Amino acid sequence: MDSVLKALAAIVGEDHVSTEPEEIYIYSYDLGTTEPHPPDYVLAPKTTEEVQEIVKLANREKLPIVPLGGGLTLAGLAVPLRGGIVLDLKRMDKIIEVNEKARYVVVECGVSQGQLISHLDRYHPELMHSEPGAPAQATIAGNVAIHGQGDLAQQYGFNSDMVNGLEIVLPTGELCRTGSCSISPSWFTQHPLPDLGLFLGWSGTTGIITKLSLRLYPRKKIRDTGQFVVEDEELVPDIIFKITHTEMVGDLVAFSQEIPTFSSGLHHITISISGDSEEEIEFKRRVIYDETLGEYVRSGDGGFIGLTSVLRAGLPRRPPISKASDWKKGGGFEYVGAIMPVDTYPECYRRGVEISSRHDIPYTVLGRVIGRSHAMMFSWTYAFNRADPESIRQAREALHESDDLALELGGTIWKPGIYGQQLVMERMDPNTLNLMRKIKKLLDPNGVMNPGNWEVI
Amino acid sequence: MALADYKYGDIIHRCFRCGYCKYPTSWIDLNSCPAYARFRLESYSTGGRLWLIRAWLNNELDWTEHLAEIVYSCATCKNCVEQCPLGFNIDIVNMIIAARSEMVERGSVPLAVKNFLDNIQRQGNPYGNARIKRGEWIKETGIRQYDGQEFLYYIGCVGSYDTRAKETAKTLGEVLGKAGVSFGVLGNEENCDGNEVMKLGEEGLFQSLAEQNIRQFRDLGVSKIVTLSPHSYNAIKNNYPGFNSSFDVFHYTQLLRNLIKDGRVDVSGGFNAKVTYHDPCFLGRWNNEYDTPRQVLNVIPGIELVEMERTRTGALCCGGGGGNFYTDFLSGSEDSPARIRIREAHTTGASVVAVACPNCMTMLEDAVKAEGLEERLKIMDISEIVGEACLVKANK
Amino acid sequence: MDIVVAIKQVPDTSEVVDVVEIDASEKDIKKDTLIFKMNDWDEYTLEEALRLKEKLGGIVTTITVGPSEWDDVLRRALAMGVDRAIRIDEDVTSLDSYAVAEILSTLISRLPYELVMFGAQSEDLGNGQVGPMVAEMLDIPHATLVVNLQLQGKEVRVSRELEGGVLELYNIKLPALLTVQTGINRPRYVSFTGIKKAREKEIEVVSLDKLGLSGEKLIPKVKLEKLELPPAGKRAEIISGSTEEAAARLTMIMKNSELF
Repeated sequence: MDSVLKALAAIVGEDHVSTEPEEIYIYSYDLGTTEPHPPDYVLAPKTTEEVQEIVKLANREKLPIVPLGGGLTLAGLAVPLRGGIVLDLKRMDKIIEVNEKARYVVVECGVSQGQLISHLDRYHPELMHSEPGAPAQATIAGNVAIHGQGDLAQQYGFNSDMVNGLEIVLPTGELCRTGSCSISPSWFTQHPLPDLGLFLGWSGTTGIITKLSLRLYPRKKIRDTGQFVVEDEELVPDIIFKITHTEMVGDLVAFSQEIPTFSSGLHHITISISGDSEEEIEFKRRVIYDETLGEYVRSGDGGFIGLTSVLRAGLPRRPPISKASDWKKGGGFEYVGAIMPVDTYPECYRRGVEISSRHDIPYTVLGRVIGRSHAMMFSWTYAFNRADPESIRQAREALHESDDLALELGGTIWKPGIYGQQLVMERMDPNTLNLMRKIKKLLDPNGVMNPGNWEVI
Repeated sequence: MALADYKYGDIIHRCFRCGYCKYPTSWIDLNSCPAYARFRLESYSTGGRLWLIRAWLNNELDWTEHLAEIVYSCATCKNCVEQCPLGFNIDIVNMIIAARSEMVERGSVPLAVKNFLDNIQRQGNPYGNARIKRGEWIKETGIRQYDGQEFLYYIGCVGSYDTRAKETAKTLGEVLGKAGVSFGVLGNEENCDGNEVMKLGEEGLFQSLAEQNIRQFRDLGVSKIVTLSPHSYNAIKNNYPGFNSSFDVFHYTQLLRNLIKDGRVDVSGGFNAKVTYHDPCFLGRWNNEYDTPRQVLNVIPGIELVEMERTRTGALCCGGGGGNFYTDFLSGSEDSPARIRIREAHTTGASVVAVACPNCMTMLEDAVKAEGLEERLKIMDISEIVGEACLVKANK
Repeated sequence: MDIVVAIKQVPDTSEVVDVVEIDASEKDIKKDTLIFKMNDWDEYTLEEALRLKEKLGGIVTTITVGPSEWDDVLRRALAMGVDRAIRIDEDVTSLDSYAVAEILSTLISRLPYELVMFGAQSEDLGNGQVGPMVAEMLDIPHATLVVNLQLQGKEVRVSRELEGGVLELYNIKLPALLTVQTGINRPRYVSFTGIKKAREKEIEVVSLDKLGLSGEKLIPKVKLEKLELPPAGKRAEIISGSTEEAAARLTMIMKNSELF
């Protein structure tokens, strides 16, 4: 056993460290199209103290560290580009505290979306978090760390806007807290303490989040979902603008996809309303559907399909994995998610159809509204067949083109992989870039944290 | 065998690694896959295992002892089949078994698996104990050799040789006897049912065992079989018909339910305890039988039946399937599925865990000791609970 | 690299010690209720030989002296992958180690070989003698209790297991004879289908005559007088084999005992 392996085994126990080819193989891969890179060590720590010891060792041995949650970014952010240690954080899965009155939850970094959904549903049914629609094993911390968005995005913004505090292991091994938790036992606010927001959106290059406090929101008894369909993509931004004015809507998503064929070329605007009573729902429906969308119906530009009303009590939400993963009968898909101005929806859609068609992939696009039409997360999804290298190559090309497109249209790429990161940095204000460089150097002098990412040229 | 020759070569790549295979029906915990619960490394989840199998058959990975252990660490509990959202879910466990078959034919299996199968080849049971001792437990019970009675009472290897499980076999025999059921056993003539052999990928041996057993049953004029173990029930019910057999096979809880209903078993003696029932995978997810054992327990006066967090289709496997009660790939840690299950049982406040399978019995009994809960939690087979209620004294 | 491996069939007494009984003649154990199998040591030996063949090519021949029932072990060896199987047809229970060695060495001298391999001992009488005797009769060097072997050109480098975990290293010129200790490798599993397929392969049966030997010539030098069980009292079992195997055996014993 080499001495590093011995030291790591002493930290996490022999059962939770591996250098076997099988673990190396599995942890080399992202689930998307990113090329695999093997780590040298795979670890599954249980406690923050273990993480600290590992980070210190990595600094001594000059080993890269890659923190891994659910591994579902599909952008290769947890692929060990320079080898080193992959830290599978999912054993750190305690839900530490739910504070009902202040509506927040404190979780360890490995707590999964599914776990939190289940826990709140069981013990705090009137609270919910902004759930991103990823498979249940995606982690809360991972999603926050990439500035994810969930079904409360229209109402309350990015999931990273819902953070009350973080506990971080710095790249040099010290433990640090940001927010009120740094001065008291309560994790209820980040502001107005001096901004230490150096850890989100950095792809794990500035430290490892070990705990976080996430705001929870009221969960009402009834959830009402309707779909409003238009043929003309140019109408979508306006419709979104008008609906968001009402302040009555929850999640607001516009999507268009080639499969099933009857939906190809149409734009489905999914409107979620919630309420504690039929009256509340009825009122909101009236404001949105009759008063706001009525004009489109009357002019023949749009119509409703389906309206489902579900009593929320007792039913954990079950986001299925996207059917897109099996469209090429191939077990894989990857998407470019971009944060775009809402008025770029029509062009994003048209160009998305064109890119998909050129790469022989059924088009799938989606825009989730963030805030009051402040922005949207627009995604272009490309399915591929894992057993067919050509289909992977086509998907990868389409993804790169979509990355280019997002920036061309004036947006920015959400959770970019290496390719997208370079595009962003090329366009970045040089002083901003320089500031990023300084922060990185300050926090991570030995350059151990997820190297290869946000590498400022 | 190249990937092209592998039975599932054209679909095994379709696993997205979404991770639902690790979850129970509610997502309350990430460890409903026994192997993943134990090791918490992606390679041990179903998705990871499928990717590794594909890589091995595709010559991206060489066979290693570690790979074999990963492939054999699956307890074939079918939680993944239940939870996988993709259309190929029904074949997931079959894919793992097919990979095991390939390892078996190449002769490259873990040592414990080799011993398991060698022992069955030689002595007809995985322990390698003498064939002629298989019927020892019958002595002084008054249970008769099968000789044309209405039912063949089929015990299985664990019930015939494991110290604790033998008590269950006896008690069930006494209960059936007291109910006036006409039955007999095979004793030393009984041979392994082959369920685990099949799950371990030894198709040739399974076929031989099945054909042997079917011939034996037929020659003896057997038409109805009642099994102690859900493993035997599963094999005889679902896999023996493939070799031209048609027996009416019951798990004993199904018989007991009817006997109690008909008044032939009188449970009025009652059983006063808070009881929680642990669904055995080979009755539950493998055969959709969740209700009958609960019906038996519910009809006994004094029992307060409480459910664990993970129940029915979402039940956590004890980790004893796939030969694991012998090969033991999942033990040695507080994360062993049996120990997790015992802790889960303990939180219900129950004082008794009711089981309906001798494998579950041995796994959970070991776990109770490992958890230091011997004083607070008792593992009892449903036959023993019924036995106490109808005042048949179990041989303790 | 041509190899000859001598094997034998023994009763299965590993997990079934409690069913061993002395027969009426008091010179053997009752065998009618026992199951028979390949001698444990021979399995490891065959595995080692096959691994050499897989690496270096050549022919592996397996041989035995015994009655027709012993075809089973030859068939198992064929299923493992040996190229040729020969049985000298003779009731071996009336012969001693020396006689068996005479028969085997006569056959071996007519076969191509660079290496002759035996299990270090057998599970029945456990004499451990036939291998070294054959080596002397063939006038080739030998080493016993081999736990590791590496081919190096015209030599084989072996580790021998001594007491207390001490290992002895030798370089031996080929042709040579080695007796092999259990634990040297992990023997492959032989599937049921594999054994069935092996039934189609030929087992050559040779009579003593064919070797120019006769029953009268083979006079045992050692005569077994009596076989008896150890006196009743405290029961002890000495567990042999590698650490892993011993641990596994110990675990099974404890699991099956009335202690737990």
